Amino acid sequence: MMIALPLAILWFGGLIVALLDGTRKPVGYLAVIVLGGALAATTVLGIDVHRNGTQEMAIGGWEPGVGIALRVDLLGIAFAVVSLVVLLTALWFEVSRDVKARIFPALVLFMGLGLTGLFFTGDAFNFYVFFEISMVAAYVMASYGETPRQLRAALIFIVVNLLGSVLFLVGIAAIYHNTGWLDMERVATQMPLLHENPAILTATIVFVAFSIKLGLFPFHFWLPAVYTGTRPAVAAILSGALANIGSYGLIRFGGDIFPRELQAGAGVLIFLGATSIIYGGIQAIARHTPNEVLAYSAIGQVGYILVALSIGGEAGYAAAILYAVINALNKSLLFLAASLRGWLAGAAFAVGAFSVAGVPPAGGFFGKMAVFQVGLDDRRPWIVALVFSGGALSFVYMFQLYRARFWINEEADEATTRGALGLVVVIALAIVAIGVFPEPLLALSQQASALLSERPP
Amino acid sequence: MTLLISLTIAVIFGAAAYLMLKRDLIRVITGMILLGNAANLFIMAAGLRRGRAPIVPSDHDLSDPLVQAMTLTAIVISFGVATLVLSVVYRVYDSHHSVDLRRLSSAEAAQAKIDDQLLPTERSARVETAEETESELEEESMLEGTRR
Repeated sequence: MMIALPLAILWFGGLIVALLDGTRKPVGYLAVIVLGGALAATTVLGIDVHRNGTQEMAIGGWEPGVGIALRVDLLGIAFAVVSLVVLLTALWFEVSRDVKARIFPALVLFMGLGLTGLFFTGDAFNFYVFFEISMVAAYVMASYGETPRQLRAALIFIVVNLLGSVLFLVGIAAIYHNTGWLDMERVATQMPLLHENPAILTATIVFVAFSIKLGLFPFHFWLPAVYTGTRPAVAAILSGALANIGSYGLIRFGGDIFPRELQAGAGVLIFLGATSIIYGGIQAIARHTPNEVLAYSAIGQVGYILVALSIGGEAGYAAAILYAVINALNKSLLFLAASLRGWLAGAAFAVGAFSVAGVPPAGGFFGKMAVFQVGLDDRRPWIVALVFSGGALSFVYMFQLYRARFWINEEADEATTRGALGLVVVIALAIVAIGVFPEPLLALSQQASALLSERPP
Repeated sequence: MTLLISLTIAVIFGAAAYLMLKRDLIRVITGMILLGNAANLFIMAAGLRRGRAPIVPSDHDLSDPLVQAMTLTAIVISFGVATLVLSVVYRVYDSHHSVDLRRLSSAEAAQAKIDDQLLPTERSARVETAEETESELEEESMLEGTRR
C-alpha cells in the first residue's frame, strides 16, 4: 500500500493543480506542497525498504505474477528521491520568481508521477508507459515560455526523443518475444538462457533508446539545441530529473537484465563513454552562453556513468549509481545558479563547479573517486588518466563560465528573488554535506549495486 | 507469414525514416506517426501464439492476448503524442509563418548570431588594465606596420 502512496499523491495532486490557474502564487505553492508530500512519502518508503529489503505489490488486487508488479528496491528509491528533490527545487524556484504558463506546476507533478512510477515498476511494459507519461510532460515543458526559439527547441526535442521511445518499445516487444515475460525479475532469469544473437540485438536497441534520453556522445546532437533555448528551471528539470531515466535505465537494464551483453560490448561502451567525456569537455570550453556550456558539460558528465557501468562488477555499478545521483544534483544546481546574481549565487555556483570538476569539499569528488578506484582495481591506467583529464577540462570550462557570469557581467537577467537564492544555497549545502559525510551515500550505492549483481548468472 | 509481416514492418519503417528526413514538417510528423505504427505491428508480431481471438471460454487455440493489450496501449499513447506534436507544429507555423525546416534553421542561426554579438558587450564591461590596452595598441600598430 505504501508503494502506491507517492504515485497517488502525485496523480491526484496533478489532476487538481491542472484544473487551476498555475500562474497564481497560491496554486504554485499548492503544487510545491503536493510534491513535498510525495517526496516525504517516498522517503518514508525508502527508509522502510532500507530496513526490510525490497517491497513488492501487484496492481489491482491481481495475484502476484499475473498482475502488473510494482517493485521498489534501493536503486529505484534512490533515483526517485533524487528526481523528486530536483523537481521540487526547480518548481519552487520557478514559483518564487514567476510562473509564465498556467500548466507548468501541473506538468512538473505529472513528470514526477511518470518518473516515480518508472523507478518503482517491476514490469518492462509498465516502464514504457510511465516513461511516456514523463516524456509527454517534458515535451510540453520544453516549449514552456513559448518564444519562437523555445518552440523550435521543443520540436527538435519531441522528434528525436519520440524516435528513442519507439526504439525502446521495439526493444520491449523483442524482450517479450524472446523470454515470454514482461516482469523484469523473470526476464532477468530467462535472458541468460537465450541465444547470444537475439540477446545482443535486443540489448543494443535498449541501449540506443536510453542513450538518446541521456545524450551520450553519438546520440547527443539534440541536447545543446534544447537546453540553450529553455528557461533555467526547465533546463534543470530536463538535465537533473528527466535524464535520470537514461542513467537509471542503463543501470537497471544493463546491470539487471543484460549483464552478459554488457560485458560483451564493454569495449565499445567504454569507448563511447570516453569519447563523450572528452568531446563534451572540449565543446564546453569552446562555448560562451551559460546554458550551452552546461549542456555540453552534461554530455561529458554522463560519459563517466557509462564508463563505470561498462567496467561492471559490484564496484562499477556502485560507482555508476553514485555518479548518476551526484550528477543530477550538480546539474540542477548549476542551471539554476547561473541564472541568478549576487555573491550567494556565485558561491553556490562555485560549489557546483567544484563538484563537477571533482574537487574535494564538494560531493562530486566522491563520484569521480569511485570511477577512479574502479579504474585502478581493474588495472586500466588510461581510465584513471581519463578521469583526470575530464576533471581538468571541466575545471577550465566551469571557471570560464564563472568568470563570465559572476565577475564580468554584473547586471541580472531577471529578478533574483530571495526564495530562489535560498533554494540554490540549500542544494549547494546538500552537495557540500554529501562531500563532508559521504559514507551514507557510498553505503547506499554499494547496497543497491549488490542487489543488481547478486542474481544467479 | 513471418516473412510477410517482417517485410511489411520493414517497408513502413523505411518509409517513416525517409519521411522524417524531409524538410517539410508535416512530412516529418507523418513519418513519426508511421514509425509508431511500425512499432505497433512489431509488437503484434512479437506475440507468442497465433490463433483465434482470445475470448474465454473457447476450445480452439487462442492468439496471445498480452501483445494485443500492449499494442492497444501503444496506439493510445502514439495518438496522444501525435496530437501534441501537431499542436506544437501549429505553434511553430504561427510564429514563423512556415513549416519548412530550412526557414527554421535560418531563424536559429540568426538567433545564434545575436547571442554571439552580446558577447563583446560583456568584454567591454570588463575593467581593462592600462597594460592590456597598451599591449593591444602595440599589436595594432605592429599589424599596421606589416600591412605597409
